[in-house]
Amino acid sequence: MESKQSETPTRGKLTKHDVGMLGIRSIFNQSAMNYERMQADGWTLAMIPSLKKIYKDDKKGLANAMKSNLQFINTNNYAAPLLMGLEASLEENGEKRSTIDGLRIALFGPLAGIGDAITWFTILPIVAGITASFAKQGSILGPLIFFLVYVAMFFARIPIARLGYTTGTKAISKIRENSAIVSHAASVLGCTVIGGLIATYVQITVKTKIPVTAGHTISIQTQFFDRIFPNILPLGYTFLLYWLLKKKNVSPVMLILVTFILAIVLSWLGVL
Amino acid sequence: MQVTLMQGLLIGLFAIISGIDFWWEGFYIFRPMIVCTITGLILGNITLGIVAAGLTELAFAGLTPVGGTQPPNPIMAGIMTVVLAYTTGKSPATAIGLALPFSILMQYIILFYYSAFSVLTKKLDTYAEKGGTKRFTNLALLPTWIVGLTYGIIAFLCVYGAQGPMKSLVNAMPVWLSHGFEIAGSILPAVGFGLLLKSMLKARYVPYLLIGFTAACFIKFGNLMPVAIIGVALALIEYNRSKKDAENEKKLKTAMENSNGGDDEDGI
Repeated sequence: MESKQSETPTRGKLTKHDVGMLGIRSIFNQSAMNYERMQADGWTLAMIPSLKKIYKDDKKGLANAMKSNLQFINTNNYAAPLLMGLEASLEENGEKRSTIDGLRIALFGPLAGIGDAITWFTILPIVAGITASFAKQGSILGPLIFFLVYVAMFFARIPIARLGYTTGTKAISKIRENSAIVSHAASVLGCTVIGGLIATYVQITVKTKIPVTAGHTISIQTQFFDRIFPNILPLGYTFLLYWLLKKKNVSPVMLILVTFILAIVLSWLGVL
Repeated sequence: MQVTLMQGLLIGLFAIISGIDFWWEGFYIFRPMIVCTITGLILGNITLGIVAAGLTELAFAGLTPVGGTQPPNPIMAGIMTVVLAYTTGKSPATAIGLALPFSILMQYIILFYYSAFSVLTKKLDTYAEKGGTKRFTNLALLPTWIVGLTYGIIAFLCVYGAQGPMKSLVNAMPVWLSHGFEIAGSILPAVGFGLLLKSMLKARYVPYLLIGFTAACFIKFGNLMPVAIIGVALALIEYNRSKKDAENEKKLKTAMENSNGGDDEDGI
């Protein structure tokens, strides 16, 4: 490739430790989060030591690399080290600036999708659901397990960065190829657990009793709703909210307020 | 119960640490599970903290900062839930509702910062152009320190300053009102789950939702582990099946290409 010769010939090489540190530094990804270019400033901050080592005395090369890293980026925070590792390996190989930038820009979106599906929509509901069941009984195991899981998740940034670095573009294209399958499986797991969470943690109990004859009443909850299906009200209400969020684009804060008003009014009426 | 000045300051300090953690999404100590527990610990009633942690964590399950959005703030929700339960003697479920305004206040402050920090980008560009890594680093970290400090101040003011007024407000509440708050607190997770479903649920995943729901209704067990295991089993089945499908499709494609190689001229 001609482009390689046109750039400064000697580039520094990152050690395994450097790449691991890049994974740790990926925590800076959101350090200067803003609406103009989202994570770009923090992203560049995370990349600085690696870029410095790669470009050594080449001040101009370093400045160029920093500048082009400052383009809009918004990805999942556990996908970031993967992409950073990949970028570091590309910089090291002296790939064309446009190739590096193009890859980064093309990949951050899809990786954000799969990363969010796994971390926010699968791992968090599961960990939260299980640890909350301990915590509600006052057991310290709840917060303890939660904490340990996320410490482990943090340190997973090291192998994730190394994966991006060592397997390079090949791995990324493979991940992209498989990402549909992986996020499909993650969605299956996530939806199953959310179904369980709805049944366990949304509680709506109707107090109203209908008098049938003198001294005899029918409880709407136990003798009507519970006979149809347990927890049918929580499921119904969650679906109503889902419909409002998805189809009517109602904001979550609005729904929280409506839920409060509804609960208070129904409490006042003695229904709930 | 009163929050002492020392406790107020400690909670403020913890708010700085967890605020930075939320800004960075580092160790997830910003989730109510940890925030409530630590707040309870500082107030000397860790059990209250842990119980509130379970409730608040679930209420905020779907309220996640995905894709650069800001949910109602989990840190202020966690801190204020425990503090209000502690100072007023109400149950944590009631306190979640009372803590919500504080949580939304912080949400809007962070949203303001997202816009405000755009101001720095020009300066960062010039530093980058000159390859000034040191100055770049200092400036790129500045938002983090500003956010952390804001958390500390807001948390301290809300915890220590507002406890008196909040207490008299809560004590003046009629029973139906505080009962209403309690009910709202136990329905609130539905908003979070609705949000999760918004980003995850497609028609083809409805069956799994129903399986999980039904399993949780009838399996009597202390936690959600059995449902999670069922979910893992279903996910593995689907993973293997999709993988096979993808491979078959690939094979079919290459086979088609090979057999069709000579027929292209027919132009049908």
